Amino acid sequence: MKKTVLDYVLKIRLPLTLFVIATTFVLTYYISRPERDGLGYAPEQPIKFSHKLHAGTMAIDCQYCHTDVAKGRYATIPSVNVCMNCHTVARKDKPEIVKLTQYYEEEKPIPWKRIHKVPDYAYFNHSVHVNKGIDCASCHGDVKEMEIVSQVRQFTMNACLDCHREPHKNLPYLEKVNIGPDNCSACHR
Amino acid sequence: MNENGNSSELKKDYWKSLADYDNDPGILMIKENEFLEGVTDDFDEAKLTGISRRRFIALLTASTAFAATACTDYREKGEIIPYNKRPEEIKPGIANYYASTCSGCSQSCGILVKTREGRPIKIDGNPEHPVNNGKICSKGQASILNLYDPERLKEPLISGRKSGWEIVDKEIISLLDNASKKNREIAIVTGKIVSPTVVKLLNDFKIKYPSTKIYSVTLVDDKIRSEAWFESYGTYNYPAIKFDEANIILSIDSDFLGNEGNFIENMQKYSIKREVVDKVNFNRLYVAEGRLSATGMMADYRISIDPDKQYQFVMLLAKEILKSGSAISLSSEVISRINNSKTDLKIDRRKLSYLLKDLLENKGKSIIYAGDTLSKDVHAAVNLLNEILGNTALYDFSRSFKSFIPYSKTEELMSLIDSMNNNKVDVVIHFDVNPLFILPDYFGYGSSLKKVAGTIALTESENETSSACKYVLPINNQLESWGDANLRAGIYNLQQPVIAPIFNTRQKESVLLTWLSGTASSYKEDLYHKFLISSFNDQIYSRIKNVSDQKTIWYSALHDGFVIFNEEMKRSDINQKAFLLSKELGENKSYTLHLTESYFIGDGRFANNGWLQEVPHPVSKVAWDNYASISPTLAKELNLEMNDVIEINAGEKSLNLPVIVQPGVAEKTINVELGYGRTVIGDVGNKVGFNPIVLITKYYDSSPFIITNISIKKTGEKYNLVSTQEHHSLDDTFVKDFHKIRNIIQEGTIQEYISDPYFLRNEKKEIFGITREHKYTGVKWAMSIDLNKCTSCTACVTSCNVENNIPVVGKDQVERGREMQWMRIDRYYSGSPDEPIVSNQPMLCQHCDNAPCENVCPVNATNHSPDGLNQMAYNRCVGTRYCSNNCPYKVRRYNFFDFRDHFADEYYQNNLTSLVNNPEVTVRSRGVMEKCTFCIQRIMEARSNAITEGRELKGTDVVTACQQACPTNAIVFGDMNDPDSKISKMREHNLAYHVLEELNVKPNVTYIAKLRNTQPEDN
Repeated sequence: MKKTVLDYVLKIRLPLTLFVIATTFVLTYYISRPERDGLGYAPEQPIKFSHKLHAGTMAIDCQYCHTDVAKGRYATIPSVNVCMNCHTVARKDKPEIVKLTQYYEEEKPIPWKRIHKVPDYAYFNHSVHVNKGIDCASCHGDVKEMEIVSQVRQFTMNACLDCHREPHKNLPYLEKVNIGPDNCSACHR
Repeated sequence: MNENGNSSELKKDYWKSLADYDNDPGILMIKENEFLEGVTDDFDEAKLTGISRRRFIALLTASTAFAATACTDYREKGEIIPYNKRPEEIKPGIANYYASTCSGCSQSCGILVKTREGRPIKIDGNPEHPVNNGKICSKGQASILNLYDPERLKEPLISGRKSGWEIVDKEIISLLDNASKKNREIAIVTGKIVSPTVVKLLNDFKIKYPSTKIYSVTLVDDKIRSEAWFESYGTYNYPAIKFDEANIILSIDSDFLGNEGNFIENMQKYSIKREVVDKVNFNRLYVAEGRLSATGMMADYRISIDPDKQYQFVMLLAKEILKSGSAISLSSEVISRINNSKTDLKIDRRKLSYLLKDLLENKGKSIIYAGDTLSKDVHAAVNLLNEILGNTALYDFSRSFKSFIPYSKTEELMSLIDSMNNNKVDVVIHFDVNPLFILPDYFGYGSSLKKVAGTIALTESENETSSACKYVLPINNQLESWGDANLRAGIYNLQQPVIAPIFNTRQKESVLLTWLSGTASSYKEDLYHKFLISSFNDQIYSRIKNVSDQKTIWYSALHDGFVIFNEEMKRSDINQKAFLLSKELGENKSYTLHLTESYFIGDGRFANNGWLQEVPHPVSKVAWDNYASISPTLAKELNLEMNDVIEINAGEKSLNLPVIVQPGVAEKTINVELGYGRTVIGDVGNKVGFNPIVLITKYYDSSPFIITNISIKKTGEKYNLVSTQEHHSLDDTFVKDFHKIRNIIQEGTIQEYISDPYFLRNEKKEIFGITREHKYTGVKWAMSIDLNKCTSCTACVTSCNVENNIPVVGKDQVERGREMQWMRIDRYYSGSPDEPIVSNQPMLCQHCDNAPCENVCPVNATNHSPDGLNQMAYNRCVGTRYCSNNCPYKVRRYNFFDFRDHFADEYYQNNLTSLVNNPEVTVRSRGVMEKCTFCIQRIMEARSNAITEGRELKGTDVVTACQQACPTNAIVFGDMNDPDSKISKMREHNLAYHVLEELNVKPNVTYIAKLRNTQPEDN
């Protein structure tokens, strides 16, 4: 039988093209996954606040600023007056502190860039996790070492369930830990 | 035009430019050529770019795509904006509660307002309040929507134009000054005044402007009751009734469990004697009424009597009762009057003999209670009858209903109208009241108002009265206001704002205070706040036996929402002459029209509240309308059926409205609810229903609400009433008593229960399953509903609506059966159409262990949780509706639209109204199935609290929204795996049953069968 151009196209060219497309798609999907999940996202903040300096070097407790993390759903970003507890005196003349003081005096809130976010329609509660003894770093990474905070863990349903189902593996420092709920209503309502 | 036809001289009517007008030759040239010069010249290809059209589009697409991907930072997650200085009491994500007082009606119940991040999201009863004990009616629950009503007035108006407060105040102050200088009348028209501070304010106002007169108007309320009490006892302060101590209650056309007085309080007291759980302790309720009311549905014996014959009925009782003596000494005139009264009533003799026997056997332990819409004559007779029986022992004078300013008599209002017509009135101030709607046409209030120069309306949103007023001043919502109330003796309630005024509105009392001061610039936001504190110190502080200083007491009262002090109204002897003056209604040759107040929209003030319009009527289950309910006999006689429009003629007035054939209505009675048919109102309430106030022609012949000698005729037209429950015909042998045959409703009598406590379980069939049992360790949620206590008041439905962000769908969607309320109260009739026995049953998701909805979901969006909940993951749902199809209880609700977007042109889809949403509950969108979640957000909150406190979650930690609202505590919720919990006792109770038990779906909602307290010989 005589080979036609059509044969060539159907048998070689088309599968090859499809294969290349599929491979590209799959590779891109997996390679870009962490990127799409926000890993390494470290936006520039309105004030160059250093967690490394405050939480690391000076060892200020997380809850000094994030006051409600053990009380309610939100960890809460501190309001400007909390910063001013120290900075009315400390390093008043540094440019970033001048910026801060300006916000405070003009009674404007600071528009911090959001870094961590659970997907929509999921109701996450900080207090439940913190009161079970889970360390902040288990989700937020070693913030004490971060000059600029960036996202280090994924905040997907998969990531939540991974830890809920195998807490012993993911939180080895907790001696007594129950398996977290994995029913829908645990997060969705 | 021009005869010589010379174009150069031709002048035109229409022209494009001056050159055209002057017939410029250049213009003529242009007109001759179709295209301008050069337009049709060939392209010079050499000058064009080398990019083809196809390539250009490709480039354009590619660059747009690149730009779109490059410019959006898809990782951007927005901003988190904390407070600059966070108020100490606000913790994001944690609710704050403030005690306040509801001013939805005059009853002034104590409320607890839940606020999140500074915005009110739910109103519940104040649990410590001595009157309503943590419960609040549907109106109170839903009134939170009024705060976020998009059609609230936002600015002061002068003659319909936006203005400023300072200008308005200046003009009004000069009007008031002029009027008082010339000694011309200033009329202040108010509703019922329950606040001692407002009384003080009005008195101050009278001192500053001496020509001021105060008028108090109302539609129904307790006007007739208090006036009748005044005639019998010489005071307007009438006592509360100890329904909790009554063995026999006879309601004479009174809906005390549904819509009269403080029905929340009444229901609580009534249900104390409807206890079956620990011991059987029952009162017996007789209801003698013409319509079928919510109270009538609860009756053990219901005697149907036309409302105009109630006087005769009371006299009949008096005559029989007098035969066995009287607890007070009666004058001979009274005795002869009673003995000579006409008593040829056609009523069921068997029921009457039971009633008489019970009343005589329970002297001093029974109560006869007449309705708010009955005439003073009936009230006078009932007051006397209670005295004869010694039932005054059940009067509670320590919690009397007080009256600060008596309602204006008809004559007073007529004299105001006369003064207005004769130009003697300069200013009329409408103090948050709508007389143009609630006063019958008879008064001609609207036309008289036109003759007054200074007409002022203080109102939250536009209404009939404000549309006729020159100055329309927007006032604060109750949640933005300070206030107080001392309706009940010994209880002083405080109202505090829980949010700053959203719009440019002012507290209505502050507005008067500004006018009182005489200068427009004297207004300050805390004007009334300070006035209130000083009034509290003067009037209340001195009466509280307490050692603390004024400030401490004020703040503790504010914290609690009320203070209790010692105040007892004096008990006095009855004036028997009041009874002698009472008379029977004139002869009625035709039908009787009985007008009663609407269950949910009150006197029309809640007509723009979508939640309240959509709550189904407790009896007929009709939403979004009022109608004439007629008896089945009358329907047959006139060949009428549901939706037929009839014309009601009362004197010269007539009204066309649709009918409902309502089982149980007395033969000659036609019942229509008031409050509907508002004309000047927001989009929601506009032209909803029909206004029967127009039929009130003679204002005070007996009672305005009972109109005799009316005529009706069929018009042949049809109207579309929408009901959330099928009206199954009682005549149809197939559906008759279906609910009993299928054991949906299981009932019995006390006698049956006492003689055999297991009477319900005798014919228990063995049910076997084909699936493996699932083990539930730990907490397992369950609910029980005691049908002995449920009065179908629908507070649970409204509470659920508010808690769970349930949208308003509108009449057209209710008609298609697409209402979204997660709870409904099913109403079943049995017996005969003339004497129906009514059974009510709240129905919600039963959270079945073997849920039939779960195994048909193709995407596993609905499944079971380890704590026994039938859970629903909205974002997983693809909207096949298989689950709803497979649900035997029909409790699943589907979002056929994004209802917030769909209802009334996005009426509730705006930045303001969305603030009412509970942030803990997802706002569902189109194409998603939803249903009762057992308030999963509350369960999760309780769980997180338990974890924070380092303890195990207990069943009693969770209170669902419906349970919290239920005035009679008929709903119990908790952990059925805890053997000591109330819920597990309820589940094991002899009267406990599951609906459609034979399907073996294993529901987690248990019903406690209703027992009726019938006479032993009736069984």
